[in-house]
Amino acid sequence: MQTLLPYLPSLLAIAVLLPLGSFCAILLGAQWLGAKGKFAGTLATTAVLASTVLSFFSAGIWFTAHPAGAVDHAAHEVPPVITGHGYTLATLAGTNVGINYYIDALTIVMFCLVTFIATCIHFYSTSYMHDELDDVVDQEALLEDGESLHRPGRYARFFQSLSLFCFSMLGLVLSGNYLMTFVFWELVGLCSWFLIGFYVERTTASTAANKAFIVNRIGDFGMLVGMMALWGSLGTLNFGDIDQQQGIFSQVRGEENHYALKVPDGMVRLAAGRQIEALALHATEPLTTEQLAAKVNAEMPVWREANLGYGLLIIAGLGIFCGCVGKSAQFPLHVWLPDAMEGPTPVSALVHSATMVAAGVFLVARSYPIFLPEVLLVVACAGCITLLIGASIALVATDIKRVLAYSTISQLGYMMLALGCGGWAAGVMHLVTHACFKSLLFLGSGSVIHAVQTNEMPQMGGLWRKMPWTAGTMLVGCLAIAGIGIPSVFGLPIGLAGYYSKDLILEQVYAFRSENPLWGSFFFAAAAGGACLTAFYMFRMWFLTFWGEPRAAKRFDRAHESPRVMVVPLVLLAILAVCVAWPAFSWFGLPTLSRSIEQARPAGIWADMHGALWHITLPEESKGHTAAVTSPVGLIELGAALAGIALAALFYAWKVLDPEDVSRSFHPLYHTLYRKWYFDEIYQAVFVRGTMALAHCASLLDRLLIDRLVDGLARLGVGLARLSDLWLDRQGIDGLVNWFAEQTYRLGSALRTLQTGSLRQYVMLIVASTVAMFLLISFWTLALTG
Amino acid sequence: MLFTLVNHLTTDTLASLVGLGAELVLCATIVLILLARMFQLTQRIDSTWLAMIGTLLALMVLSPLTPWDVTRSPVEMVSIGELPQVELFTGMLVHDGFGVMVKTLLLVFLLLLFSLIKLTKAHGKADSPDFTTLLLGATIGMFLMISTNHVLIVFLAIEMASVPSYAMVAIRRGDRKGSEAALKYAVYGAGAAGVMLYGISLLCGLLNSAHLPTMAMRLSELTSAGLSGSQTVLLVMAALMILAGLAFKLSAVPFHQWCPDVFEGATAEVGAFLSVASKAAAVALLVRVALGLGDSVDPSLLATVRSFLAMLIGVVAMVTCTFGNLAAFAQTNMKRLLAYSTIAHAGYLMMAVPPMLALVGVDNAAASQCAGYLGLYLAVYLLMNLGAFAVVAFLRDTMGSEEIRDYAGMIHRSPSVAICLSILLVSLIGLPPLAGFVGKFAVFGGIAQGYLATGDTLLAVMLLVGCLNTAVSLFYYLRVVKVMTMDPIDDEAAPMLVGPGILQRSYLWCVTLPVLLLIIGWNWLNVWIQAATSGLFS
Amino acid sequence: MSFLYEPIGLSHYLAVGAFLFVCGIVCMATKRNALGILIGIELVLNGAILNFIGFASPYFRDENLGLDGHLIALFVIVLAAAEAAVALAIALNFYNNHATIDVDRASELKG
Repeated sequence: MQTLLPYLPSLLAIAVLLPLGSFCAILLGAQWLGAKGKFAGTLATTAVLASTVLSFFSAGIWFTAHPAGAVDHAAHEVPPVITGHGYTLATLAGTNVGINYYIDALTIVMFCLVTFIATCIHFYSTSYMHDELDDVVDQEALLEDGESLHRPGRYARFFQSLSLFCFSMLGLVLSGNYLMTFVFWELVGLCSWFLIGFYVERTTASTAANKAFIVNRIGDFGMLVGMMALWGSLGTLNFGDIDQQQGIFSQVRGEENHYALKVPDGMVRLAAGRQIEALALHATEPLTTEQLAAKVNAEMPVWREANLGYGLLIIAGLGIFCGCVGKSAQFPLHVWLPDAMEGPTPVSALVHSATMVAAGVFLVARSYPIFLPEVLLVVACAGCITLLIGASIALVATDIKRVLAYSTISQLGYMMLALGCGGWAAGVMHLVTHACFKSLLFLGSGSVIHAVQTNEMPQMGGLWRKMPWTAGTMLVGCLAIAGIGIPSVFGLPIGLAGYYSKDLILEQVYAFRSENPLWGSFFFAAAAGGACLTAFYMFRMWFLTFWGEPRAAKRFDRAHESPRVMVVPLVLLAILAVCVAWPAFSWFGLPTLSRSIEQARPAGIWADMHGALWHITLPEESKGHTAAVTSPVGLIELGAALAGIALAALFYAWKVLDPEDVSRSFHPLYHTLYRKWYFDEIYQAVFVRGTMALAHCASLLDRLLIDRLVDGLARLGVGLARLSDLWLDRQGIDGLVNWFAEQTYRLGSALRTLQTGSLRQYVMLIVASTVAMFLLISFWTLALTG
Repeated sequence: MLFTLVNHLTTDTLASLVGLGAELVLCATIVLILLARMFQLTQRIDSTWLAMIGTLLALMVLSPLTPWDVTRSPVEMVSIGELPQVELFTGMLVHDGFGVMVKTLLLVFLLLLFSLIKLTKAHGKADSPDFTTLLLGATIGMFLMISTNHVLIVFLAIEMASVPSYAMVAIRRGDRKGSEAALKYAVYGAGAAGVMLYGISLLCGLLNSAHLPTMAMRLSELTSAGLSGSQTVLLVMAALMILAGLAFKLSAVPFHQWCPDVFEGATAEVGAFLSVASKAAAVALLVRVALGLGDSVDPSLLATVRSFLAMLIGVVAMVTCTFGNLAAFAQTNMKRLLAYSTIAHAGYLMMAVPPMLALVGVDNAAASQCAGYLGLYLAVYLLMNLGAFAVVAFLRDTMGSEEIRDYAGMIHRSPSVAICLSILLVSLIGLPPLAGFVGKFAVFGGIAQGYLATGDTLLAVMLLVGCLNTAVSLFYYLRVVKVMTMDPIDDEAAPMLVGPGILQRSYLWCVTLPVLLLIIGWNWLNVWIQAATSGLFS
Repeated sequence: MSFLYEPIGLSHYLAVGAFLFVCGIVCMATKRNALGILIGIELVLNGAILNFIGFASPYFRDENLGLDGHLIALFVIVLAAAEAAVALAIALNFYNNHATIDVDRASELKG
């Protein structure tokens, strides 16, 4: 296995390209895909399955070469990384722009996660989308006359888009520079647009797709600003060092500084422009480039002390985070994710819960070395607010997929909060575990929707009798998300996947609180409260759907368990949701999730980080693993989860309390929550209407002022041309040329008469000419000589 | 004494024969054709094929890129830039790179002409042995014209080139116009040749030698010793008379009277031959005579002679091209128009000689470059004129008319022909980016170079007149193009039932494409020609 | 006029040659009969030949044209004959086409 290490990049590249191949094949080979394109599903699934195999194989190679042993927090080990150069696209301004890769344990873990979940979802979709194989009558897409739309099925198109999405996501994970990330970022957004707008004839779906894309683009604008800041000051967009050229991470956290964060030379130089000029001008004699560079280097530490370039690094970090805000549906750009549920459920499971929205978190984790503590504080705030918004709205949502969507928003907020408080491993772990159980929950909800043909929970109820497998796996998912497990204080920590990750997050926030009391208390209260709310609304959902008596008899009668193709992925994901984070794997020599993630921790995060502008301290992660932290946190977490479950049971299972009463008592609050904090209305009024008004003004300006000016100039030019044509050209120049031609013709005709046709005259002319020439020459020489 | 004489003669003759390889091959071809006719083989094999094979063989023997160097024993091939100038046959002929170059052009032209004759119907199989023999004979005469070094050869070669031409013009027995043209040609030619011979006799008598270099030497002695009045008169008179003969061959004004009538009366193929080959040989002869008399071991002594010759040739050239261009304006017959065009181009060709004369002694390398420019113009002129006459021949076969008004609407009747002829005519004007521009530019460039080196005002005037004439000539060439492309097909015009066939059209394109494409890569031609003429001046 | 009294020398040859030349030219220029024109041509050529002979003679001048002149004369004689033959054939061809030998009638080609 060790010998295969050099092939690792190629293996991962093949894993990335296989779904692309499937995409192209389905796109071009439509006629060979069987009746209605049934083979497309098989093709896409095979491709993704092959990618999964390759990913796990690569994981095997990696962890053989770099074993993820027990984490020794004292030994500050640099994470093993493979960076390399794939292909140069262009050389711009001295820097190579190309396809590079950056492989560390995070990449490997993401690969395995994304491919495995994608495979499960592909299997699930082959059955879920089977009604796209024939012509479809879309009840929700109404034509002008009120009739439902009849359209041919789009089975192959679904798998085509799904394959493209897999390719884009895997490419994003593998990418080694910001430009490549950005390209795949956009591509992932594009696939999401395709997939949300799969039922394009429904106005809700097409609007939702546009909304998702546009909101993402707003975030991407910030990301471009961040990328420009990095490229402009550091001269490269590569993450790691490639071909002896320093990447961004090495420039920000250099080896000589023990990988502590310092503002890189490039940024300092860029910010200290005036000082450099002063250096050059005040020199006693003109400086050469080398002398000036030496002087600058000497002054560099002084400037760094004066925090020159600090602002630029903040801008870079905030810019990158801005993109993540858009992609991961953080406040204030979270509005697109609930609407994205218009897409088919497998899409929601794959794209909008497990992978694409996690891409933002992934990028924050990847860019962690360049984030200053100030930036991380902003990240944490955004995450905190998001988690509260998501959890609060999920309390009152009635659409099962909307509940899950808001739950996703909330959990993404958790991840950002964790990352923002300095808990890199916590955030990433929650990303992984969340992917597992959220996709499980979505697939389960898909089963339910497929069975009862409605999304509304008030029309469900008591489905556990009809769909035991679905109910059971969803229960597992709910327990996982609630974070149920036996805390370590009781000895061996054992629990479902969500328990470990949420535990880590709360530990980190607790440690943060001890360093920064003001921010920390707020964050911890939010996090703990959020845990309680999470448990509550998840079990509310479960109880409403599966427990009690059925509320719509006809739907209940039609409900049935899903076919095996749909149940098996549910079971697989449930197993994963249970045991993916177990530390017990280390007993069998396999790398555990936490150890793998710890291996990928960026260099330098092992120390506390102190902000220079704002006085905050981010504790390093191991501080959260001391017994003083884990004991209270574990208990608080378990308590919150149990409290939430109990409250949900009170309301919906045992029907002791009536939710109707509560909503009526807190009517304004309920209404605000139900209307999603009025975000959509505010955005519509401020941004949408505002832009349209601006556009209208600009159009008026263009038509009345600019068009008139341009037309006037054109008419002037045409008039001038006509004038000059008439006077100058026709009368002047043409007249002259014609006269000249006329004269020449007359001369030519006159000369023709010389050729009389009489032979005697010709001969005479020989002699005459000779004599004439002789006379001419004599007279000429006579005239010359005098 | 007899013994030494015979010994001397045989060794020299045998050695010299090697340098005459191409001419010998052509002679052998003539003999072969005549023998074939005697043994009635020509009924089965067309003698044009035999002639073509002979021409190819001659070209191979001549080997233009690496000709034979007879000064070495055994004779071996050298690259053309290193070929030394050597006198053959005790000074009668001269063999050098310039000669090889012009002979190559003539042989290539001859090949193309033979192909044209095969493709047209004017000269049928019955007359073919006679016709090809006459062509080959005239070519041998032209070869002698190119390599002449002795006044006898000058006269002999002119006659040898002209007399078969008289016969060729008259070869179609029932042709009224042809017979009249032949009569005019023969009488005029004989008359001009006679005048030239008288002039030669006077010159030889004065200079006591018939060998051109020796004559030059004597002339330089005479001029350095001082010329008396009567001697000057005699020399000038003799020069003018010799010029009469040369100008006849070149159809230079005022000895051009035969040209339009002969071209109109002869067939287009013969016209092509006369227009290209005899002009090329004639201008080469002019170069030989002018340089033979104007250049000797010490060129400075002959400066007045050279300047006189340069002025004479220059003025005649200017008048020729002006007259040719102007008189072509009102022509209605295509061949007559091409005749006047030939006269004009002869003027341009002659314009390349005065800078050579001016630069001798001042800058010999530039002088041989001017000779190279002349060669380049000849090469380009060869293609253009042959193409134009070929078009006339093809259209005469299909339409039966050679009047310009019958060419109206040709673009609809036969687009290939119209396009090719337009390209060729525009190239004859000398407009870029066609090959004609290359030739004109080279010649005018040589004149400019000569003017800049010597400051001779004649050269500046020649340049001006040349450029003006190029502008003036636009009219009549483009008139034909306009008639072909823009005029509608006239009801009363000669009908064309079928256009020229695929072979004829491909022949046209074979000739036209180099005219089109030469502008892209003409350096290979220039390099070879410059290498050939580099040894012209000692 | 003194040369009429001198013994025959170069100038006499040249005079006769010139006389023949001029006669020939006049003949060529004025005769309407094609054969007459050919006779004129012959006269011209013969005048030139006489010049050559005169210049070549070693008895008239010490520096002379020598054998070159004699040889040229021989060649030109032959050439004149050949040319005359061809010219006669052409005149015959003309007669066959035009039924006349009057060169003034040969004026269809002009302009």
